[in-house]
Amino acid sequence: MKLRTIIALLCVIALFGFTLAGCGGQQETGKEPSQEPGEKPAEEPGGKPAETGDVSRSETFIVDVLGGRVTTPENFNVWAQTWRTPDRGVQQLMLEPLWIVEYVTGEVINALAAEGPEYNEDFTKMVVKLRQGMYWSDGVEFTADDIVFDVELVKATEGMSYHTEFNTYVDKVYAEDKYTVVFEFKEGNSRFHTFFVDRWGGFRPFPKHIFEEVDDPVSFEFNPPISSGPYVLKDYDPGGYWTRWTKREDWQKTPTGALYGEPVPKEVVFYYYGNPEKKVLAQAQHEIDLIEVTSETLKAILEKSDTSRAYRKEYPYFVNVDPCITGISLNADIEPYNNKDVRWALTLAIDIVEELGTSFDGMATMGCLAVPPTPVYLEWYYKPMEEWLRSFELDIEVDGQKFKPYDPEATKRLTEYIKSRGYELPSEDEEELKQIFGYGWWKYAPDVAEKLLERNGFKRDNSGKWLLPDGSPWKIHMVTGTNPSNIGYRHVFAVQQAWKKFGIEVEVETTENAATLTQHGDFDATGTWPALEPWGGHPDMYRTLRSWHSKFYKPTGEPNVGHVSRWHHPDMDKVVDELEGLDWDDPKVIENGIEGLKIAVREMPSIQISGYPGMVSFDEQYWTNFPGAENPYCQPYHHWPNLKYMLPFLKPTGN
Amino acid sequence: MSFIKRYLLPRLLQYFLVIFVGITVVFIVPRLTPVDPVQEMINTITQRGAYMDPEAIEQLRQSMKEMYGLEGTVFSQYISLWRRLIIGDFGPSLSQFPTPVVKLIGISLPWTLGLMLVTTLLSWIIGNILGGIAGYFSSSRWSAAIERFMMVLRPIPYYIFALILLLVFGYVIPIFPIAGGTSIGLKIQFSWKVIADLLRHAILPALSMILLGMAGWFQTMRLVMSNIVREDYVMYARAGGLRDTKIAFNYVIKNAMLPQVTGLALSLGQIFGGAMVTEMVFSYPGIGGLLYTAINAGDYNLIMGITMFSILGIATGALLVDLLYPLFDPRIRYR
Amino acid sequence: MAVLRELLRDGKFTFAFTVMSILIILAILSFFSPYDMSIWNVVPRDMPPSAEYILGTNSKGQDVFWEMTVAIKNSLIMAVIAAFFSRLIAIAVGLLAGFKGGMTDRTLMSINDSFIVLPVLPILILLGAILKERLNMIVLGLILAIFGWAWDARLIRSQTLSLREREFTNTAMLSGQKVYELIFKEYLPFVIPIVSATAINNMFWAVGMEVTMAILGLSNLTIPTLGTMMHWAISYQAMLLGYWWWIATPVVVSVLLFVSLYLLSVSVSQYLDPRTRIQRIGTAKVVK
Repeated sequence: MKLRTIIALLCVIALFGFTLAGCGGQQETGKEPSQEPGEKPAEEPGGKPAETGDVSRSETFIVDVLGGRVTTPENFNVWAQTWRTPDRGVQQLMLEPLWIVEYVTGEVINALAAEGPEYNEDFTKMVVKLRQGMYWSDGVEFTADDIVFDVELVKATEGMSYHTEFNTYVDKVYAEDKYTVVFEFKEGNSRFHTFFVDRWGGFRPFPKHIFEEVDDPVSFEFNPPISSGPYVLKDYDPGGYWTRWTKREDWQKTPTGALYGEPVPKEVVFYYYGNPEKKVLAQAQHEIDLIEVTSETLKAILEKSDTSRAYRKEYPYFVNVDPCITGISLNADIEPYNNKDVRWALTLAIDIVEELGTSFDGMATMGCLAVPPTPVYLEWYYKPMEEWLRSFELDIEVDGQKFKPYDPEATKRLTEYIKSRGYELPSEDEEELKQIFGYGWWKYAPDVAEKLLERNGFKRDNSGKWLLPDGSPWKIHMVTGTNPSNIGYRHVFAVQQAWKKFGIEVEVETTENAATLTQHGDFDATGTWPALEPWGGHPDMYRTLRSWHSKFYKPTGEPNVGHVSRWHHPDMDKVVDELEGLDWDDPKVIENGIEGLKIAVREMPSIQISGYPGMVSFDEQYWTNFPGAENPYCQPYHHWPNLKYMLPFLKPTGN
Repeated sequence: MSFIKRYLLPRLLQYFLVIFVGITVVFIVPRLTPVDPVQEMINTITQRGAYMDPEAIEQLRQSMKEMYGLEGTVFSQYISLWRRLIIGDFGPSLSQFPTPVVKLIGISLPWTLGLMLVTTLLSWIIGNILGGIAGYFSSSRWSAAIERFMMVLRPIPYYIFALILLLVFGYVIPIFPIAGGTSIGLKIQFSWKVIADLLRHAILPALSMILLGMAGWFQTMRLVMSNIVREDYVMYARAGGLRDTKIAFNYVIKNAMLPQVTGLALSLGQIFGGAMVTEMVFSYPGIGGLLYTAINAGDYNLIMGITMFSILGIATGALLVDLLYPLFDPRIRYR
Repeated sequence: MAVLRELLRDGKFTFAFTVMSILIILAILSFFSPYDMSIWNVVPRDMPPSAEYILGTNSKGQDVFWEMTVAIKNSLIMAVIAAFFSRLIAIAVGLLAGFKGGMTDRTLMSINDSFIVLPVLPILILLGAILKERLNMIVLGLILAIFGWAWDARLIRSQTLSLREREFTNTAMLSGQKVYELIFKEYLPFVIPIVSATAINNMFWAVGMEVTMAILGLSNLTIPTLGTMMHWAISYQAMLLGYWWWIATPVVVSVLLFVSLYLLSVSVSQYLDPRTRIQRIGTAKVVK
């Protein structure tokens, strides 16, 4: 009896083990050359090719949906003030904006607009020239009337996106001729056009001839939708997992066609496979061509599929062009984080190499400024500021000398770590490594951090744990979301480790309500972006710096509107005020940005750690010529609206 | 008449009381959490990079609060909830404003009903039959074998079990799709091709639920059964020379079914709550995933709409069990 | 001791008892763990099992064996608390309602049914959001106890109802037996199999809920439990990357835990049932 039970148990365990081994061991069997070049496999090695109806799989481009399952699959009205999963093709294929940011090349592309906006002297009037010969997918021409109608409708309709913005600023909008729109403002606004700049959001024009027939533009479903982009809706899953788009016959009459030529795939499918492990399985079976995943998941894909490749073909794989700076936000509005010394001490208690090792196994670009360390921003800000950073001193003496916190050697230390993990460096050239891993970070100086805290009355207890100046134990309450793929989540756990090591008690709360908690100030530290993203493809720092202006300050407890750190400073106000008076193409914008960034370094309102190390995986089974690191002609993600500008460059493999 | 007055009316009263309490709890609990639906919506829109003017956010927050019906005290919101529920209006979803809650539920509910009705019934039937047989012939060798199998099967954590099924049948032997409810391009209409496609997508989630669910029913049934077999009346019947099958059908099964029928009625009621984890692992469209989204977004109306269905379902299930008990167990009188 | 000796004659019990003892010893071992489980990167990452790291190491740089011991301790504490308190409520409510009937029954069943109709997982998720970082294993156990009794109370009630109608109840009542004696002596033996079966079900359910919440990332992820171990292993793709020791450990442990609990409940309830006891001793003798 006993023996048999044990045998039965062992069998089940063995079965379980085999399954795991089968999946883990797939890397060996999977590496066998399953497809001979030139030979067309009747059936894919991983399984059946996805059924795509009358268009073959090799003419279909299948990508992931970042926003997940669509809860209202029949609704394509993305102008209602709500979330309609625009990244299921609506923003990538169906709609074109006036302008769009391209953060890889650092430019702002004129899409439906023919050229950049023209403001008058005091920014109370803006003229927009539209691209001619653009047509909606139902054959109606796109003209200035569309824009005028759109802006007026949005102004008049509560519940539409940009209703508040347009009402606040727009006095009058009219068409000067068929392709020229004029905006007159209630007050001067030098950045009004940025509402029309697409950077994962922005106002995209909708067709007047459809919406003027509609009674309630908020509950209107816009189905079937009319496109201004190169693809039109073909069909969608009633369960909300996939949406299929087909190329327009008249793709020439869209900005994509006019700018880059014919998009190659006949059809594009947006398919949400679910949890990261399922995306791995789907790509290993060549059912999805482009996904964004975590570093571990990427590792799994590269092991399982020989046709998959990352942004960079070899280690460190990650996307170093994402225009987002990540790190830790502190609630600088409450004790003790309202003290600059405390914020600096917490920063110096972090060893950047250990942090990046724990969070991404070294696959990230370090960044110490409130601006993402992408190649274009490195050029615009990190490089010009390096001299200043090297000489920057904290107001504390070590060995009789003012302490210089900047560590230009951090990059070298990171590469040492990478070598110790057994990875090969992507290059031996120091300059190139700096481009990939960043220019440097702050020194790991727990001794200086200790001094900074001690001079503010902090003490350690007998067991070495830190006490607040009032003698009570210091406990940091960190908040983050529940999604382990989130970059903020990774930073929170890595920084928790650093601070614990330093002797501070840290509790991490993972919650789906992280957004509310951070916006209401119910936290000490969080993984929410430490500084808002700048435009991405433009040196103007308006978007980042302005949110630090004291006019947006709300005390903790009240919902926040600016940065979650709630930090503000008169010096920063001055910089922002000056910036508001500059045209965004004014060369002085960079000087102004540098001033702002310097203040943010001195005050350390939040701790910038690294750029957003996106991990994308391209499957080269059916398509090649993806915008990887060796040929970065376009941003590499499937969820950014710029995807439509990637499609004309894809090459079919003929499989 | 006295049956109605002495039994049915109080029971119905209890039914409505239970529903009232359930709805009240579901109204209050989400409002105790820190989540703010307006804030969550603003964050959803801005977190991926869309720009919202700080000046506008302030006003937007106010106008969204008004539109969402979140102005006024909690008590006045509670009163207006009942006013709406009585006329069958669940209001608009907050996270998909202004789409009505009923519409969102309508999109997801058919999937859930189809999947869960079949799996609940199948796992109940298979589990009970196997459990009954195993309990009745508890000394036989294969009964012990099944028992051991179920014993080890049941405690495998569902998520892991589902993932293994997926790996085995979606990847190692790729015979079933790994996600979604339909193939790309499928138009829902009545044809064998469509039905086959729907089934192919439903098999893995169904299998995971049937296998683990069945193991649970099996164990309870086996225990109850092996207990009843030792009851005096069964002993007497055996001693009296009645045939085994006759004993089984006339005496044993009827008695053993009692707790199982209660269980079934309640699990059928639970169907309306959806299978959150199943739907997430298999990316199967359904009400469970919708509920999870609703909770995270603080979509009070949608939470209320979905849980209302599940509360009604379970309460009705329990009511039916109470009314039908005497049919199964003649020893019970309505009291 | 005599009881234990008698129980140990049962092969199932012996197996279950051994496994359970090992698990409890492992749980106690957690107090001697050389590592603080809240600290990462104390050992090299992703090492397969070896002499130095019996169960290997995980991607957080922790020793899986020691992580497991702490997880067993925490999950056991949580499950026992949940099962114990929910059984107390379930037995009390079920017996009382079934035996007394009338108004008492109706009131108790209204409360009972209100708990049954509440969708537990959503409410747990919401409660998790309210309790935030105060959510530790003891609190979670108590919360689960509050939501875990109603179903079983109904089962016990229906069993009591049917017992109530039987001959021996009337005989006992007529012969002047006290109510509590009747309940404890005559009813409880019938109810115990249900209680022990449901107790196992309840522990199973409690650990399952904890695992579900952990996998969704909603429990306190800094406390090692069987659930949070799975959460970390899954989110670091241990399954796909072939770090089987990391994901298999919590799974195998929870399977072992429940198999032994199940066998314990079966043999204990058989032991408590006098009729099978005679039978069993009889067959045991024959076999030997």
